[in-house]
Amino acid sequence: MVALLVHLKLTLLRNSLRRSVWRTVGLVIAMLYALGIVVGVLVGLVALRATSTALTGDVTVVAFSLLTLGWLAMSLLVFGMDETVDPSRFALLPVRARELLPGLFVAGLIGSPGLATVLVALGFVITWARDVALAAAAAVAAPLGVATCFLAARFATSALASVLSSRRFRDFAFAVLALVGAGLGIGGNLIGSSLGAEGGQPLQALGRVAAALGWTPFGWAWSLPADVARGRWGDAGLRLVLALALVAVLWWAWGHFLGLRLVQPLESGGSAARIKQGTWVARLYPATPAGAVAERTLRYWRRDPRYLAGVAGLLIAPVVVVVTQLSNPEGSAAVVAFAPVILAPLIGISVAQDVSYDGTAVWLHISTGISGAADRTGRVLSTLTIFTPLLLVLLVLSVGLSGQWRLLVPVTALTVGLATIGLGVGCFVGSLWQWPAPPPGANPFQRGNSGGLPALLSFSVTTGLTLVLGLPTVALVVASYWESWLGYLALVVGALSGLLVLRIGIVAGGRVLDRTWPEVMLAVSEKSA
Amino acid sequence: MAAALSLVGLHKSFGSKRAVVDLFLEVPTGSLFGLVGPNGAGKTTTLSMATGLLRPDAGSARVLGRDVWADPAAAKALMGVLPDGVRLFDRLTGGELLRYVGLLRKVPPPDIASRSRDLLEALGLTEGRDTLVVEYSAGMTKKIGLACALIHAPRLLILDEPFEAVDPVSGEGIRSILRNYVSGGGTVVMSSHVMELVESLCDELAVVAQGRVLAAGTLDAIRAGTTLQQRFLELVGFQASGEEALTWLRSSSTSS
Repeated sequence: MVALLVHLKLTLLRNSLRRSVWRTVGLVIAMLYALGIVVGVLVGLVALRATSTALTGDVTVVAFSLLTLGWLAMSLLVFGMDETVDPSRFALLPVRARELLPGLFVAGLIGSPGLATVLVALGFVITWARDVALAAAAAVAAPLGVATCFLAARFATSALASVLSSRRFRDFAFAVLALVGAGLGIGGNLIGSSLGAEGGQPLQALGRVAAALGWTPFGWAWSLPADVARGRWGDAGLRLVLALALVAVLWWAWGHFLGLRLVQPLESGGSAARIKQGTWVARLYPATPAGAVAERTLRYWRRDPRYLAGVAGLLIAPVVVVVTQLSNPEGSAAVVAFAPVILAPLIGISVAQDVSYDGTAVWLHISTGISGAADRTGRVLSTLTIFTPLLLVLLVLSVGLSGQWRLLVPVTALTVGLATIGLGVGCFVGSLWQWPAPPPGANPFQRGNSGGLPALLSFSVTTGLTLVLGLPTVALVVASYWESWLGYLALVVGALSGLLVLRIGIVAGGRVLDRTWPEVMLAVSEKSA
Repeated sequence: MAAALSLVGLHKSFGSKRAVVDLFLEVPTGSLFGLVGPNGAGKTTTLSMATGLLRPDAGSARVLGRDVWADPAAAKALMGVLPDGVRLFDRLTGGELLRYVGLLRKVPPPDIASRSRDLLEALGLTEGRDTLVVEYSAGMTKKIGLACALIHAPRLLILDEPFEAVDPVSGEGIRSILRNYVSGGGTVVMSSHVMELVESLCDELAVVAQGRVLAAGTLDAIRAGTTLQQRFLELVGFQASGEEALTWLRSSSTSS
């Protein structure tokens, strides 16, 4: 059964590679990226051999506990990090959960996250292989630790599977993930600056964190060699028993929930809730094709988790900048004031990827024969409706918090200029490249679902071109540092060049769409590649 | 009078696979036309090229005299389309989706409201008006797709597998809508692989296999005295395997 399931997993992986060149390229890049991280970690672990066992212990306990925690958090939030071998597919076969467990365990470790974890765990053994006792402790700890990572993740997802499979929760999880990302960014910065402020005792702080993590379930196994190195055999014995018990309990519980899932495979779905008819959205735009597109995309900004996560993701950077600069006594007020400028050139990206997000549903635009310009205009209108208030609030907040009101004019000039230029560029770029994006509510990190190269290309060309076209405004804003009246000129130039680029983007992008609608349809279809 | 739909010499290849090969088809105005063929015959590819969703490698498509590829706006305004295997804007409610299609088709808003009400009622979707389309069952999704194809009162309806996943009661509702539509002067082109359905509903049909039209004409001319099922099997060249095949499947022949 183990060999069979491993073979199944390998076949599925190979076939998914065969489906498209883009996918293969994307996967290879992702793997190179993962490999880069793994190699970096391995080098670090080998380098630790040159340091004391105390430092090695603190570093490895913290790092590997966080890795275990990461497995749990990622599989809960990014449900089904790897559903290539989905247990509920076995529901129709005459097999018992207990027979499937070993095979699913091994098959689950095959794939980038599993392999990376196994490799890093090997590095853990290498760094501890300094004498026989330490090597033995590490050799016992590593497999236990890897098993804990994997089993904790599988136990949590299978226990929560019925909740996780509902569309509502997945929508919610997507937004939560973005918020957690923002929280980690801010939290990490705050901890970093507060540790730095304590007076340069990072090693002691690390020791305290390691001691605390070592007694959580995430650190039991990984702390074994450190205990042995310190000669605390009692602690080592206790933690070994705890780690073994944890793995046994997780194994049993995973099997239990897997058994449940084999007899009641999950149907995704849930109660169909009624949506109140929103009349104000319908009155916001004129009753034209462009107005209809604006109305529909505005509804999507609220109902499609990908757009919600997009807004949250775009807001992360400016908010992180404002919070960390304000909390840091040496923070720069000018940097706080210019925070909205980080957001401005990025809003064009949402227009650039809009058609890909529509996916094959865009057939409706083609079949109704609406003009490309109307399509572009509608998408710009809804994006402006979302981001104008956001940018205004951010502008007032950041300039207000910085207390540098004289910067209001140049910051506004850059924000308005880059935002409108970005929208125009996004309109045009969005008509050039589309890719098959995961449908709303699907797992955004599912293997092979990412846009891969075309998405990356679209992103970099949009932001790059926006910055290039924004150069006159940027130059005037820089010059206003010496001659403040140039700030007003920058405002005029920014607004005018923005409107010009927006107009060109809508017209030229619309023409491209009018000419290539069928090719757009092909590009967003999964089958195309 | 121009044919409702006229396909001339359509070609389409996907890589080395030739999906549609030199396809000619003439659909007379006022007919309920069935396009039948086995799986992978090229029905969906043909209909996609006729509706402007897929660019043909060669050949042309005309709707009531308007060339779909030379004058797409004029041709598309005359057509109502229900494609198969593509997504809808399913984060809208049924009512919002209909309004969206209506506005894209430049139907006056008061007409959209009254037509939506009529269509939802005729298709038994009134209950689902304020529910997101993503929550709909497969049959309901088909029906809202049909409503979207009808909202601008087109002259020609092109429907890909309109009865798939639709329950018998709703199916009868759709049949009467289509019959009414044709008797009012409209033309329907629908694909299907259920022969009984085509036999009972359509008056003209074409049999397609491997990207070619094998036979086209009135229902009676094609079935030529036998059933459509029998005639279809003859045309696509199906040889029924005899009784000796799969003998191990017979419960009586094994001990267990």
